[in-house]
Amino acid sequence: MTISRRQFTAGTLAAGAATALGTLPSGSAFAQGSKPTIAFFVKNVTNPFWKACRIGAEKAAKELGINMEVVAPTKPDNIEEQTRLVEDWIVKKPDAFVFVPVDYKALVPSVQKANKAGIPIINYNNKMTDIEKVTFIGSDDALFEYEICKYLFNSMGGKGKVVHIDGVPAAITAQMRKKGFERAVKEFPGIEVLASQPGQYRRLPASQVFENLMQRFPEIDAVVSANDDMAVGIVEALYAAGRGGKTKVVGIDGIPDAIQAIAEGKMFATVDFSGHDQSYLAVQAAVRHLKGEKVPAEILLPVFIIDKSNVGKVAKTPEERAVPSWDKVAGKA
Amino acid sequence: MTMQLARANGAMARPELLGLSPDRLFVVVSRLVALTLLVVTLSILSPHFLTWSNLINVVRHAAPLFLLSAGLTLVVLTAGIDLSVGAVLGLSGCIAASLITGGDPVLGIAAGLGAGLACGLVNGALVSYAGVPSFIATYGMMWIANGLAYVFMQGEVIYGLPAEFRLIGAGFLGPIPMPVLIMFGTLAALHVLLHRTPLGRGIYAIGGNPVAARLSGMPVHRRLVFVYAMSGLMASFAALVVVARTNAADVSLGEEQLLPAIAAVCLGGTSLFGGVGGVTGTAVGALILALVLNGMNLLGVNTFWQAGVLGFIILVSVFADQIVGGRIGRAGGAT
Repeated sequence: MTISRRQFTAGTLAAGAATALGTLPSGSAFAQGSKPTIAFFVKNVTNPFWKACRIGAEKAAKELGINMEVVAPTKPDNIEEQTRLVEDWIVKKPDAFVFVPVDYKALVPSVQKANKAGIPIINYNNKMTDIEKVTFIGSDDALFEYEICKYLFNSMGGKGKVVHIDGVPAAITAQMRKKGFERAVKEFPGIEVLASQPGQYRRLPASQVFENLMQRFPEIDAVVSANDDMAVGIVEALYAAGRGGKTKVVGIDGIPDAIQAIAEGKMFATVDFSGHDQSYLAVQAAVRHLKGEKVPAEILLPVFIIDKSNVGKVAKTPEERAVPSWDKVAGKA
Repeated sequence: MTMQLARANGAMARPELLGLSPDRLFVVVSRLVALTLLVVTLSILSPHFLTWSNLINVVRHAAPLFLLSAGLTLVVLTAGIDLSVGAVLGLSGCIAASLITGGDPVLGIAAGLGAGLACGLVNGALVSYAGVPSFIATYGMMWIANGLAYVFMQGEVIYGLPAEFRLIGAGFLGPIPMPVLIMFGTLAALHVLLHRTPLGRGIYAIGGNPVAARLSGMPVHRRLVFVYAMSGLMASFAALVVVARTNAADVSLGEEQLLPAIAAVCLGGTSLFGGVGGVTGTAVGALILALVLNGMNLLGVNTFWQAGVLGFIILVSVFADQIVGGRIGRAGGAT
């Protein structure tokens, strides 16, 4: 990933100078007829999720005719490095930050500095509190897992033995997803939770943990996995143990491998957690804000469940994926 | 240090079993105490533990970790460290998976192993000929291998490896999983290398006393290059097994593999100061780590408690080993 150190234009300088917290005279860059520049942050350049985010954002930038700079730490998810990047970019003063913190608490002081410098913040993916932001655009982890669980439990007639594979115990997304699971379990008295064990959001540890659990439980009706990478590992483990097809496995994210497994009938369903859509809408929100339009304070993506019935229509790569409609998503929020 | 060398020489003169002198053999047995204690405890606590399918399951889980830490053991025996093993595993896995899914499995396997070997050779050259401390040389290599993997993968994930290749990670030979066979084959080969060849004895001698080793006419530089090259090669071998097992590769493949690998080496009784230990102990160490995870899953230990329980069991097993084998270990030398 190259992060070009492009010189900011006179227009953006003026736009920055004119801003003051809270009473942002937006649209200055547009008013002066120059292209606004947006700093688009991602957590790393290693994970395909953030690649999809970058592609979504680039589509919006191209469509709207703005300059966009992708800002990523070289060491994945590194707090210290992102802190420095934020400080560098405050000095460069772009027209807006489309921002995801590598840690939603640790980056608060840095983003507050950007607030003081009058740079509008469009927060996406991981919600930050204690900062001034134009809007938050993301997906509700708890709701996503709640909905996929409800869908799964209904398909089981509301009863059966279920295993939950957690993500990384410390991750806020893992905790929220688990909450969604617990909420759904409460609503289905016929669902028995056999075990809930951590798979670290990764395939190898998750499949090993699940293989251990298969030793203990000869019958498992369904597995709820906190992400798709683990879910695919679990499907593999089931088939390797000769127990494939008897256990319904669901995940979250909609990664290509999971979509493939659903198409083959090996995996039951997943929820589309689209970084592409989040970042596309986030860049849209930034530009709309700069043009002086009113943007909702929070935009949550709708829950879209992928199963055998619709898996054929799902785009395999973020490049092929259709962009979401602003009016449809933001209009609802 | 001279005492250690004298000890090693003394040990060589005595009658041997499995290539081990009686006192060394006793130390191996003492390393097994912690493992046995864990097995007995888990058998009492969980009725699902002591079954053929579960035990084979545990050994299978230990296999990739063992392969990674076996090469590292050789480095640690020379009083060095290889911090790049996790990153090299990631890089080799990505290169191999990419070429194999591209339709050229032989080239893929060769390139994966070649990448690991190359990283190891550079590490070895830096440590032995340039005199860079192994901690620094391999720390640098860790970043280089990570960086190369990032560039190579461009944020992509590779899915779907051919079934024939997947045999080495997910296949069985009769009732025995392939990774388990690979683990014991590697263990036997490295055991013979360490205990039955001049090269192996030289590795202990370098760790025990590098100056004496050099003065006695041993090609210390070349042997150091050899151990780092082996470490890199074993990391890429582990990568092939992991990729075949998970059917996917991305740059996170080697993440969080380094510390468990070092832990397996140390749990197996290999001294970080060099000259003492061996691959048999490392196999025991890898098995202990796999057992703890298996036990926690079988007993349903709460997700949030698992990290703490893991640390606690590691300390207890080292302590148990110290009580039984500590005195002998201090007096006995290499195992």
